[in-house]
Amino acid sequence: MTSQYLPVIALLVLAVLFAAISFVVSRLLAPRSPNDRKQAPYECGIIPAEEDPNERFPVRFYLVAMIFIVFDIEIIFFYPWALSHRSLGLFGLVAVVIFALAVFESFIYLIGKGALEWGPNKQVKPKDSVVSLTRNTSNTIRRVGVRKVGQEGRDLPNQSVENKEVSS
Amino acid sequence: MMIIASDPLLSSDIGFSVVAIMLLKVVIAFALLMVSVMLVIWFERKIVADMHNRVGPSLAGPWGILQTLADGIKLFFKEDLLPERADRVVFRLAPYLSLVPAFLSFAIVPIGGDFTNGGDGTVSIFGHRTLLQVADPPVGILLFLALSSIAVYGVMLAGWSSGSKYPLLGSVRASAQMISYEAALGLSMATVFLFSGTLSTSGIVSGQATWNWNLVSTGFIPFIIFVIAGTAELNRPPFDLVEAEQELVGGFHTEYSSIRFALFFLAEFMNMITMSAIAVTLFLGGPNGPILIKQIAWVWPILWFFLKVMAFLFTFVWLRATLPRLRYDQLMDLGWKLLIPASLGWFLLIAALNIGEDRGWSTFLIVPIGLIVLSLAALLLNGAIKKAKDSSLHAADLSEISEGVDQ
Amino acid sequence: METVVFLISAAVILSGALGVIFSKNPVHSALFMVQTLFGVAVLFVLLEATFLAAIQVIVYAGAIVILFVFVITLLGVDRAEDLKVEPISGQRPLAVVLGASIFGIILTVLIVAVGGPTGEQVANTPIGDASDNTKILGEALFSTHVFSVELTALLLTVAVVGAVVLSTRPTKPLISTLDKQQNDNLEDELEEKGEE
Repeated sequence: MTSQYLPVIALLVLAVLFAAISFVVSRLLAPRSPNDRKQAPYECGIIPAEEDPNERFPVRFYLVAMIFIVFDIEIIFFYPWALSHRSLGLFGLVAVVIFALAVFESFIYLIGKGALEWGPNKQVKPKDSVVSLTRNTSNTIRRVGVRKVGQEGRDLPNQSVENKEVSS
Repeated sequence: MMIIASDPLLSSDIGFSVVAIMLLKVVIAFALLMVSVMLVIWFERKIVADMHNRVGPSLAGPWGILQTLADGIKLFFKEDLLPERADRVVFRLAPYLSLVPAFLSFAIVPIGGDFTNGGDGTVSIFGHRTLLQVADPPVGILLFLALSSIAVYGVMLAGWSSGSKYPLLGSVRASAQMISYEAALGLSMATVFLFSGTLSTSGIVSGQATWNWNLVSTGFIPFIIFVIAGTAELNRPPFDLVEAEQELVGGFHTEYSSIRFALFFLAEFMNMITMSAIAVTLFLGGPNGPILIKQIAWVWPILWFFLKVMAFLFTFVWLRATLPRLRYDQLMDLGWKLLIPASLGWFLLIAALNIGEDRGWSTFLIVPIGLIVLSLAALLLNGAIKKAKDSSLHAADLSEISEGVDQ
Repeated sequence: METVVFLISAAVILSGALGVIFSKNPVHSALFMVQTLFGVAVLFVLLEATFLAAIQVIVYAGAIVILFVFVITLLGVDRAEDLKVEPISGQRPLAVVLGASIFGIILTVLIVAVGGPTGEQVANTPIGDASDNTKILGEALFSTHVFSVELTALLLTVAVVGAVVLSTRPTKPLISTLDKQQNDNLEDELEEKGEE
């Protein structure tokens, strides 16, 4: 019976080989001239903030994963029953309905508690916290060709004054 | 009806010729996938262009049919960048985790073979009888589910390892979306297993040989849920929040360039083809269809299969050109509060009908009772949803008032 | 051939397990764990327990480790943890003692109980025809073991309730202290306006 999986392994090897060979070919053909700007995290031309991008996320994402485990296990119990439900008859049906009811009940609790509520945000935040004083147009926008702006490009207020003069 | 649930080719002694045929099948499946991805990308661009009243790709080859090939070759010549904050190992690993499951899940799809009139769907190649699918393990469909759960890692780790904001946001959205809809997908499949009595794909197809497609016998609802959940699982429009350009640039593969990007793209379209093929296998009878000319009998099932898959591919493209993108809360509400409870209820109803039929109960009695029970459950669910909505609306009202005072 | 498959998957499992312990980055640990689970799934296939193999991947790799990765990446625990801090005092020596004793028990059982490992397959596997495996499992689960199945449902319910209780803020004070303050100010202002 194990031999039934031989073609799957063959296909696996073929797929991995294909991907690996593609990488090698691309490495041979493609130019390689990395620089700081190319390697910087993409933020639409803005110099990335210093903070760690792995910030915290709403706990709902975690709840979704948690609830998914519960439903996944429920589904896994359904599959063997679905295959044998005719031979199990009424007894099996009652057993499954009880099982499903228990899970459904927890589902209702979950929804009633608002754990799967993604709608309007509950938090009322003061408005001015959105605007950061340290990050403004003069120190985040990268002006290509005017002068080199490094990661720390904080010395730019002068330049923004120059720009203002030009524009006015 | 005989369910073989294993490929006769590999059940016998494995000699040189058997291995040769097996490898031939693997290579054909591989080539078929690659060529069809090429054509599907062209097909999608052309159809969407027609629907937008544009020309679409038209320069490379006749009707621009070689456009995908040209794009692919171009990507080989592009610089491959590694973002400075990336986790180097995982960043390199993620495309494999996306591509390999995409290849493997096609292995269980029967693309041809005559299952009608007592046929077991095998064809004869060089004196060996074999099924027209790469592998037919007894838990076929579960293999597909397992691989699609591995594919979540590809998306998730691609975004995480980039060390950048947009990819991380995209991958978090994508993985939460994929696992949410995987539950609905799994539940809608369970209804099919009530009728097939097996998890093997060839068994499921041979159970639908006499025009008794599961589409009808499961009562349409699981099929509709499967298609919606499948679209969401593929991150296709209208569920493409993963790569919502206006807010997330390119989603989880923003930082990927060159061939690594191409592999993600390839995996995405392969998954689209496989999902269509699985839908056809589960609900539309797979390669079953009328054999019109007896002399070339083996051609017809393959033809029917491809026509059915094409219908799905066209639907996916059509959806993309028609529907606007959902909001994230709408997406989650649709998955958790509608599709999952609906498929759960429908599964139990159909199962009760089947058992009632065996025990000689009157259908006129079971259906109303089942519907009453289900509507009670729906009312309860609705109450819970209302309660949750009310409490969050309450908070929203307060914020409105305070904003008004600020002004 | 079976020996070869066994040796390869054993190597995959063990290297994965070592990787879980020794990698510095928790996300890498989670990935190594997926590798281990995958190897175990291959062992299940080898034992012709195909359904178990599939759900091993679907449930463990596809749901539980996904949850781990979610927690690691989303809650921002992935910065290098300080190994010098011991979360519960006395935890580490206790872990060493427990681990060693479990290893000892397993070793003793292997050597003493059956006269050492023979490497032969158990005579009565698999149950029935290997393709029918899932069906037979379903019949066993929902007849002989039906009580355990229902207990599982109870366990799942408890898990959901626990997750919700731990992760949502208490519902009673719907308006947090900050909001409450604002709300009080708001009411004051409204009153003042009314007086005017």
